[in-house]
Amino acid sequence: MEKVKLKLLYSDLRPELDKIEKELEVAVGSNSLLLNEASLHLLQAGGKRIRPVFVLLAGKFGNYNVDVMKQVAVPLELIHMASLVHDDVIDDSEMRRGQATVKAQWNNSVAMYTGDFILARALEYITVIKDSEIHKILSKTMIEVCRGEIIQIEDKYKLDQSIRDYLRRIKRKTALLISSSCELGATVSGTDAETAARLRRFGYFIGMSFQITDDILDFTSTDEELGKPAGSDFIQGNITIPVLFARKDPKIYSKLKEALGKDLSDEERREIVRMIRDSNAMQEAKLLSDRYLEKALEELSHLPKGPANKTMRKIALFIGKRKF
Amino acid sequence: MNELQIHSKITSMEIDVLQALRQRTLDKYTAGPSIERARLFFLLLPFFDGQQWPEDVEDSAKTVAIVYAALHAHDQVKEDTPVSKSQQLTVLAGDFYSGIYYQLLSNSNNIKMIQLLASGIIGVSEKKATLYESQKMSIAGIENAAEVIETRLLRIFYDYYGFSQYASIAEPALEYVYFSRQLDYLQSGIETNLLSKLNQTLSLPMYSERWLLDKLDMLHHELNKALDGQQLDFHVKNFLLHQITPHQHLAEQLTREG
Repeated sequence: MEKVKLKLLYSDLRPELDKIEKELEVAVGSNSLLLNEASLHLLQAGGKRIRPVFVLLAGKFGNYNVDVMKQVAVPLELIHMASLVHDDVIDDSEMRRGQATVKAQWNNSVAMYTGDFILARALEYITVIKDSEIHKILSKTMIEVCRGEIIQIEDKYKLDQSIRDYLRRIKRKTALLISSSCELGATVSGTDAETAARLRRFGYFIGMSFQITDDILDFTSTDEELGKPAGSDFIQGNITIPVLFARKDPKIYSKLKEALGKDLSDEERREIVRMIRDSNAMQEAKLLSDRYLEKALEELSHLPKGPANKTMRKIALFIGKRKF
Repeated sequence: MNELQIHSKITSMEIDVLQALRQRTLDKYTAGPSIERARLFFLLLPFFDGQQWPEDVEDSAKTVAIVYAALHAHDQVKEDTPVSKSQQLTVLAGDFYSGIYYQLLSNSNNIKMIQLLASGIIGVSEKKATLYESQKMSIAGIENAAEVIETRLLRIFYDYYGFSQYASIAEPALEYVYFSRQLDYLQSGIETNLLSKLNQTLSLPMYSERWLLDKLDMLHHELNKALDGQQLDFHVKNFLLHQITPHQHLAEQLTREG
């Protein structure tokens, strides 16, 4: 339902997004029956396609040509898809978007080759662009996203990490790819450097707000809404912002410390979720998310007014208010 | 160029690649990047043979080695093992190394090489996946999969920089190394995807061993023929035969016994 609402916000882009969807289908075509099937399986699971949306919207601030924009929009979505299929191996996930993951449907090796194949398709696709600046931005982003994931694994079960550690991690894990989507969309459409920089910062702030909201929802949503048990992040050892705020209370801190890394019963898990939800942490986390949102809106206020600006604003507000 | 100089150049490139891929956490929890010296030897073969070797060619050779390390990392991801830090970081290592090769080529504005290597990776991934498909493969299909997996990226590098004449040496030699390893696995009772496919096609492991020995003989013959047809430096040729493909006597012995 929420995904439908979000898609309604950018319904003006439907024809262009349909074009990109078709390109994605062509791009994941393979001579290997297995890779073909696995890639289509992944593609047909759908998704918000938020990265292509930001590429297209950013492009509207310059000389917009969908055939040029797709040269960036398609590979960015492919890179995201490749990372998802590998993430499912990392997290040992059986389900994604309501269907079996590639690793569950086939096995880990097929998931690895599918991800490698899709990533290579993305790079092959984007080389129609000869401007090395585009490639420098994208390659740096890819490396930083990886670093973010590596740090996330390293920081698992570390209750004493700082909020700064958390922010640096989510910047790399989530915000950078959205930020780069905006920047690359602006750059290929030939906007001036200041507009590209503002759009890059807008993407970064939105990405930060989006991830913080996601981390809040892991505690405030029901198991049904999430499609997984609430508090899963904590159970898996991922220390997110609600936990970091909640641990300020010594009583909560010692309970969290005791529970972290243990095989919790369902009741114990619910108790942890309840404890964090009932603390001030949720409000503090919401405030932090809102602060990033405000910064994103501030960047937009300096950009030319028009339909793209309006849609970006709507998406930003939606991200801040989404319930799951 | 004598044997010591060849060793030293390979080691120098190995160090360069390791430095490019250095990442504290990955180094601590994973096996680290796999850089096969045989592969480095063939990447450097035109240099050893006195071909012009400017910095951009050396850098490209380095990125090919990085791509192999990236793909190799993902080959190490295991099935049905409990979630472990090492397994998780091995997945990320492959992705990280891919990012590094892309960044190195972007920084040197070598967009064409990015495209060529990406298309090479597509081919390699497709062939690796083929070995997982359930249907029987023909012997020709198995041979082709091995050839693409082992030599496609090197061939791309050779063709792009005008070193195609070395492919007739490098291809049988690299396949030789690959099939020798498969023979070792077979004799140690270790099952690989290729061996499963071979056993499926040839019905019995005994036939697979025979086939591998014949294949090694054939590749050795092919390699010798290619070496005879090329005016390669004596030391380089010697290095290749003794350091890279040293198992021939064993294969011959097994063939005689078998």
